[in-house]
Amino acid sequence: MRLDIYRFDPESGAPPRMQAYEVQPEAGDKKLLDVLMRLRVQDDSLSFRRSCREGVCGSDAMNINGRNGLACLTALEGLKEPIVLRPLPGFPVIRDLIVDMTQFFAHYHSIKPWLISDAPLPERERLQSPTERERLDGLYECILCACCSAFCPSYWWNPDKFIGPSGLLQAYRFIADSRDTATAERLDFLDDVYRLYRCRTIMNCTEVCPKGLSPSHAIERIRLALLRRSS
Amino acid sequence: MDRHPRRLPVFLKLAQIRFPIGAIASIAHRVSGVLLFIALPVVAVLLDTSLRDEAGFASVRDLISSPLAVVAAGVLVWALVHHVLAGIRHLLMDVGIGGELERARASARLVLIAAPALAVFLLFWGLS
Repeated sequence: MRLDIYRFDPESGAPPRMQAYEVQPEAGDKKLLDVLMRLRVQDDSLSFRRSCREGVCGSDAMNINGRNGLACLTALEGLKEPIVLRPLPGFPVIRDLIVDMTQFFAHYHSIKPWLISDAPLPERERLQSPTERERLDGLYECILCACCSAFCPSYWWNPDKFIGPSGLLQAYRFIADSRDTATAERLDFLDDVYRLYRCRTIMNCTEVCPKGLSPSHAIERIRLALLRRSS
Repeated sequence: MDRHPRRLPVFLKLAQIRFPIGAIASIAHRVSGVLLFIALPVVAVLLDTSLRDEAGFASVRDLISSPLAVVAAGVLVWALVHHVLAGIRHLLMDVGIGGELERARASARLVLIAAPALAVFLLFWGLS
């Protein structure tokens, strides 16, 4: 199996280059990450992030044959060879396939991703009806892998000002939460030409989300909530 | 980034990224918008000249019947049709119609196919 992988070594001072690899998958190697782990045995200088290897931690997001995805969830079967691996587009590259996600997480923190409630502290827990709980489906599952934001042209051009699909999906997760009482403040924060309205409904985010979520739908809901509030 | 004193490389070569159909419809929307913006003053001047007098009309008629002008007109008609159709698609999505991935893909495909087809039809209809 042939792979073509983006290499960058910050210590060498050399510009990034592509390196060809040849690896023999073994029985039981089903996902791209399995092959990458074999490659690491061949060449221990090859760097990438991975942790849970089952699509929960979101560490091994990368550009696979031109599309963002998680190496651990991408089946080897059907991948065109050579498999071209590059770091997430638009993100500063620290080394090989490892990118700097500082800005991405700064946007995540900016939307206050925690429950804000001025209701009196309950004795046991804050209850929700099954219907209220269902509104969080398709939102709470985000693993912050950044596949979506790193595939969004609006985010590429304005990574410092546009919150990006991932951050906006997370923002809507708290707007939609019946226990959260800061909806008005959250909407005030998002009502901005850059933070929210840089989204042009291209839907690249929804195309590549490895968890099958729809950030574009969440953004649509935020827009509608703002519209309803103003009318 | 303050943590990295040296400038880090960024991978963003658009030719090496495989764009979904929605992204292609979107970039074509932009391109067609820019084309229309650039063409508008030219078309306005042509219209003004053609309305001035008989000689003006004849000169504009000669100008726009050259093969190059026909190609340019074809591109502009495509730009207009694509921009209108893609714009309607976005308006519908803004009010919550067709925002699901499958339907968005289908409508993007429809716009990308219908725009050149309609442009060819309008062009021949205009020429005949």
